Formats: sequence, C-alpha cells, structure tokens
Amino acid sequence: MDKRSYNYIGKNIIRCDAADKVQGRFLYLSDEPFPNALVGVILMSPHANATVRSIDVSEAIGIEGVEILTYLDIPSVKYNSGEWFPGQEDFPDETILTGHARHVGDRIALVMAETEEKARKARDLVRVEYEIMPAVTVLETAADMAGTLHEDGEKSFEGSLCYGDIDQAFSAAAYIESDTIATPKVHHAAMETHSVLAIPRPGNVIEVRTPCQITFGVQHSIAQVLKIPLSKIRVIKANMGGTFGGKQEVVFEVLCAWAANKLKRPVFINTTREETILSTRTRAAVKGKVETAVDAEGLILGRRFELTVDAGAYLTGTKKLMIAMGKKASRLYRIPALSYTGSVVRTSTTPAGACRGYGSPQIHTITEIHTDLMCRRLGFDPVGFRLKNLLKEFEEDLSGGANIGKARVIECLKRGAESFGWEENITPKVSRGRFFTGIGFACCTHGNGYYKTKYHDFSNMSLKILEDGSAILRASIHELGSGATTALAQIVGEVTGIDVSKITVTETDTQFTSYDSGCQASRVIYVCGECARLVSEAAVKMLTQEASKLLDKPVRFSQGSLVCEGKRLEIGGTVREIMKKRRVSIEANFEHRPEMNPASFGVHFAEVTVDKLTGLVKINRYLAVHDIGQAINESFVRGQIYGGIQMGIGMALCEELPYDSNGMPKARNFDKYHLINAPDMPDSEIILIEDGEPGGPFGAKSIGEISTVPVSAAIVNAVNRALGSSLTDLPLTPAKIVEAVADLKK
Amino acid sequence: MNEGSNGNKELTMIVGVIFLKIELKVNGKLRRAEVEASERLIDLLRQKLGLVSVKEGCGAGECGACTVLMDGEAVCSCVVPAFQTDGHDILTVDGLEENGELDVIQQSFIDCDAVQCGFCTPGMIMSAKALLIKNPSPSREEIRTALAGNICRCTGYTQIINAVETAAERIGECRR
Repeated sequence: MDKRSYNYIGKNIIRCDAADKVQGRFLYLSDEPFPNALVGVILMSPHANATVRSIDVSEAIGIEGVEILTYLDIPSVKYNSGEWFPGQEDFPDETILTGHARHVGDRIALVMAETEEKARKARDLVRVEYEIMPAVTVLETAADMAGTLHEDGEKSFEGSLCYGDIDQAFSAAAYIESDTIATPKVHHAAMETHSVLAIPRPGNVIEVRTPCQITFGVQHSIAQVLKIPLSKIRVIKANMGGTFGGKQEVVFEVLCAWAANKLKRPVFINTTREETILSTRTRAAVKGKVETAVDAEGLILGRRFELTVDAGAYLTGTKKLMIAMGKKASRLYRIPALSYTGSVVRTSTTPAGACRGYGSPQIHTITEIHTDLMCRRLGFDPVGFRLKNLLKEFEEDLSGGANIGKARVIECLKRGAESFGWEENITPKVSRGRFFTGIGFACCTHGNGYYKTKYHDFSNMSLKILEDGSAILRASIHELGSGATTALAQIVGEVTGIDVSKITVTETDTQFTSYDSGCQASRVIYVCGECARLVSEAAVKMLTQEASKLLDKPVRFSQGSLVCEGKRLEIGGTVREIMKKRRVSIEANFEHRPEMNPASFGVHFAEVTVDKLTGLVKINRYLAVHDIGQAINESFVRGQIYGGIQMGIGMALCEELPYDSNGMPKARNFDKYHLINAPDMPDSEIILIEDGEPGGPFGAKSIGEISTVPVSAAIVNAVNRALGSSLTDLPLTPAKIVEAVADLKK
Repeated sequence: MNEGSNGNKELTMIVGVIFLKIELKVNGKLRRAEVEASERLIDLLRQKLGLVSVKEGCGAGECGACTVLMDGEAVCSCVVPAFQTDGHDILTVDGLEENGELDVIQQSFIDCDAVQCGFCTPGMIMSAKALLIKNPSPSREEIRTALAGNICRCTGYTQIINAVETAAERIGECRR
C-alpha cells in the first residue's frame, strides 16, 4: 500500500482522552473515593537496616474506626516483585510487610481508617522500637555485608554472557582501551504518586484497581501470596498518571489485596511524593568497567564488561535487568567476541526495578561514553569509528538474539551528523574565558518485544463491529499516557475503514480481556499493534464472507469499503442485516505470536555550553534521529522523544537518589530531587527515518523507551568534548564539573 | 494567624478543633466553608468542594500539579493555607469553560498534543492562563519561565510550550 494513501497511519489524530484531560475530568484513583473503603497508609521504616524489637499499636487502634495490620499478621510467603508469570523463578526475598526493615521506607505496618487524614494521625501513634544495624550503601562492599541485610545467605546474583574467542580478540588487538563508568539511581517521577484499590467482591473475588503495566503479572503476584486461584483475582488497570516503569512491578498491590481480603472491606492505599520516592522503585544504579579490543584500523575485535548493579533492598527484577543489559550489548555494534559479567548486589536503599529502557540507558550510556573517550585517546574520528562498526540491516545478533531487522542506525548517524553540522562544529569554542561549548552524540538500540528471549510474547484481541458500523477492539492494553489506545484505534481504522472516532479500544481487565504479556519490553506498538492489525483483517474477512452469504453475491472489501457488484455497502446496515437474518455477530478473535524482534535505533546529538566557574551546563541545541519503521501517529512519536530527552538530560546532569553512610536518603521530594523544567529544556529537532520494519503494523516499531536511551551519553560526551575532560561518574553535577575543571588545570 | 485576613471571622469549635468560617469565590461562584487553621487550599478544593481536577504531585510547592489562580496569580494550592483565601477569587481548570466552550488554552493543548498522562495538565493550563492574562503575546522564553514551576515527566514541555504559543496567537487573532 502506498504510504500517501493512508487514512490514519502517520496522521496526528487527537488522542481520545485529550478533552477530558484538559478539563480536569480524567480521574485517577485518588480522585474517586470508593464507598466504604478504608484508606490505608503505610508505616515505613525510618531506618535503613533495622529489626523491629517491639511494635505497640494500642493507642492507635483505640481510635474508633482504625484498623492496623502489621508484619506479625502477614502470610510468610516470600515473593519477587519483578516476576510477572508463574514459574519465572525470580529469587523471592520480599514480604508484603516486614519486621526487618531493609531500607528507609520499608513497609512495617498498614494503618487504615475511613479517611487518609485519620489514618495518618493513627500511624503517628504507633510506637516502634528498632534494633539498628549497619547500613549497606557501598556497592563494592555490599556482597560482603549481605548477611546483615538478608537472612537467605545470598551475597550477590551473578550472570554472564559470552560468545566468540574473547582471549584471542584481546591478544590480537592493536589497542585495548577501558573505562570505568557509573550511572545513577533515579526516581521515575511520574507525577501521579502510587496508589491502589482492592475490593472484595461476591464469589470470593478480589478486585484490584491499579495504574499498572502488567495486569496479568499483578494477578500472578497476588495469587502467589494469598494462595487463591488466578480466576478469583480481577485486576483492572486504572487511569494512569505516568509510570516510566515505576508502576511495572507490583509494589503495594499484593499488600492491598491481602488487607481487603482479610478485613472483607475495600482498602485504598495512597502515598505522598516522599513515600513514593522512598518506598516504591528506582532505576538501578550501575557501576563498572568496559574494555574494548580494537585493531589498527578501528574495527572492534572484542568487548569485556564487568558490571555491578544495585538492586536496592530487594532483588526485584534487577537480575533480569542485569541480564537484559548484557543482551543489549551485542545489538548495536558488530562485536565478534563478547564477555559480559554482571553482579547484582542488594543494598539498604529503595529497591530498583523496571525503568524506561530496562537497562538500555545504563548499558548504552556506559558504552557510548567509553567509545567517545576511546576514540579521543586513540585519535579515531568518533563518527567514522562508529560507522565502521555499527550493524547493518538484517545482520544476526552474534549473541544468539533475534535478527536485528531492517536496521537504519547508519542512516540515523549519517543524516544526523549532516543535519547537526557535526564536522563544522567539532572544535570546542571558548567565550569570555569561562564558557566552553562542545558537541557530542551517542548511538543506541532497543528491542521490540520478547520474541527469542526467555519470556513468552503474545497478544490476544477481538474486534467487534457493531450494528451501527462502529467498533470495539477488546484488547489488554495499558494506556500509560503515550497514546497507545488511540494509536491502536488508528490501526483498526486503517484496516477496516471505520472512522477512528467510532472505534473504542479497551484497556486491560483480567476478567474480561484476553491474555497479553503486558506493557513492557517496548512491545506495545510492534506486537499489540500488529495484533490489532491482524484482528482487524480477520473481522473484515468475516464481515465480507457473511455479507456474501447474506446477499448470495460476491462481496469484497476494497479501500475501506464493502463493495458488491460495484456498489458500496454501508457497514452498519450490512452488520444489522447479517445479525437479523443470519443470526451472526461480527466479532473476530486473533492471537498474535510474533516471530521477529527487530531492533529500533536512535542517534542523538547535543551541543552544550559549560560554565567552568559554576559547573552549570546549558543545552543549546539538540537533535534526535530515530529509526522507527513507521510512525503510527507522528505527534505521539515526537511526544515520546521530547519526554525521553527530558528524562535523559536529568540522568546526565542532575537526577540522583543519594544516601548518606547511614542509609538516609538525601532526596525525599522535588526540593532535593531536581527534574529538568521548561526553562532548562532545549527545543529539540527530530528526524524520523521511516523505512518500514517487517513484522510491525504498517512497518512500525518501538519509540517510547529508546527515546531516552542515548540522551545521557550524548550530553556527557558533549561536556567532555567541551572541557577536554573524561567525566564518567553520572550525574555531572556542578560540583563534579568544577572539580574536574580544577583537576584539568593541575 | 493573620488578623488582617481573618481577624473578624467567626470561629467554631468541634471536638477541640477550631474551624474558621470563610467565604470565597470559586470559579465565579460564592462558596462558604469551614476550615481548620492547618488546612491547605488543595484539601478545601478537592475534599470539600469536590474539585478533583486539582492534583497533588508533591505536597511541597515543587511540582505545580496543584496550581490554581488566586486573584489571577498562579499559586500552588498545596502550600496556601485555606483560610487565606477568605474574600479572594479562586479559579481552577473547571472554571475555564465559557458557555460550554473550552478556553483557548485548553483547545490549544488538545490541538498541539500537549497532553500525555494528563496529571500535570490542569496545573500546567492554569500557569499558562496566569501568564496570558498578564501577557497575551509572550515570547517562547517568557512561556518557559511562566511554566518553570510546573513539572511534566511525559512531554519534555515542547508540545506544551507550542500549545501556549498557539493559544497566544489565537487570542491575538481574535483581538485583531
């Protein structure tokens, strides 16, 4: 099909919930109190590593209407919050409440009352005596101190990935270059704080409403701890005020479901910003060494990684994340031999979890800063070096992962370098003796689902064409704010010819929508979008066949219309006749099991001016080039990219969750946790390369996660080029930059 | 307590808690409320007046999600004591529509795709409103400054700034 003839694909259709959102009528969980619900607040540990010696709830429980559940009441089942399907065997080390607090913010008790205010007052009356133990805050010594934090005897969680002859690669190398790089622990900072509602329903069903990313994963976690059948747990995805991975793992859902089940009353758990920062999930901090063997011409012969990943207080999905980082290392450059070893340690800090990019921002930040520094030391041109080593289309992933697909990363780099004026601006400029301007860039890749990994990936949807010619796509989608439901409506509209305003796309409800692997792994547009396209085709086929039977004449579907003997049939009227006369409803079902998992690519360019005196960095220009196959809605794609840039600048320059040696968090709210605001955001340019990715709907592939992946490295590389520095410890706070400048003078 | 603003007000006491009776205008309508001295404006708006369009993102005046207009000035309703609004005029996003028509800023947010998850949106629109009341044709830099206290994690602000720019252009066209 000629792209120019699309009705909806690539068009800036207005998102279906925009009007409600600008009117303040789009309600989140905390906006709608549930009748007769207890409002729960969590009594959180003020200590980083401490056991509860005694807990006295007598005064608090004396208040009328107050209910308190503590760690003494809980089922002893341990679980892993990153496990989203039975049998994944993620190491379980977490309980819904605990008598051994392993980070400031760990959950000791749940205090409930008819209002949040009353629950908070009652919580203040609970007296807890703690036995304080040493905090574990240093990655290098965390494994040795593991015994003070966990009783399970696990010091660390190791993983490795090797292929090719790594020793041979390094012994044949003309150059061996290495760098040690650290990426920070970051708060997701979704503007909506965490909350969850659980309602006991007739038939022993527990209904859980949560702004989450994997309803079927939430269902699994609850079943595991409460020991009730999956069929008795109904998880409904609630309206979501942002997630960025922060709401991907279960955090309060299991506790809330358990409390509601135990008390036989609806329970709503709400959190403040401080509680969300301290008690939910973070981006895992990573520190480690990357070493590259290069031949005399600048071809990569091999690469070694030795990385330590900070899981925080519980393992969560961090071992998965560490492995995912390794798997992404072979999907950008042609690396003939690779040795990746990762070690996940637990520290007495807020747990890590999924965060936009799932390890990609960490691994590509590490390799792209290293690649730039290596090129500088060896005298290689950073663009030329990369062009020589970047993967070409349909190359195999040498680690055994899925074929790379229609890779356009070389085009991204070439077009970006030309558009940004790379050659012309490569020499840093100095003004007034203190302002240093330099440019930098970074390449990256990310996936499109789980195909050919350890995890199953499929989606099941139905499309129902109604008797007025409108349609409902029954899909297990989680709208996170990215516009996924509208994008899927565009796909359905393109295939069926039904006006997009007449198409409703459902979100997931485990009781009524079919299985889907969830909103994770950048799979939504590539896998769910393709499922929407295929189920639409199935519905159209069914409609055409039924119409032929109805009229006893050949009916075909052409350019969005039903046609019989040269005449257009109105869809609604035809469906009505089919229903009345043939007693058939037009509802098609389709289960899509992808057989491809190509890579998406991006190359970002930044020009920064660094003030040597204050250490402040200003981003003057920014360009993002993405290989996205095909934009379903270009405005949504741009929105994802701009947002990804905001998040990546933060990780490069100012966002971090630091702890003192006692494990006390230094950032508990946005006064000490700095996000990039409007004045600090550059007006970014965007170039989209749309060459159509096989296996994706109309050639589309992922953008939401990858858009944040190369940002931090592009900015750090620009700062290092401006200053001639070798900064590798993120974020590059003003203090670190001033110190680096002082060191350079020595 | 500030005697100027509330010194003559009637006080009531219910089980040991002092309530102040206040009168304010909310979205053009006169409202009466009894508030505690420690009560925040956001709680008055959300809990007593049901205006849940006002979002709480940080409770510390840092994120701007709870921005409302007080006599035309953008304020974070999570740091304004409710009693201070006695005799004042409060505008939330709910009060922007006129005769069933969206405010030009709201329409521009829709048209420029300035909305993603939507949680920051009501506050963002109110900060933009405060700007355009005072300065109907702001520069891009002035828009950035006016939105400096509103954090958005989804959009990277670009489409929001475009929307405010578009709203200003549309206001300009109407006046011509």
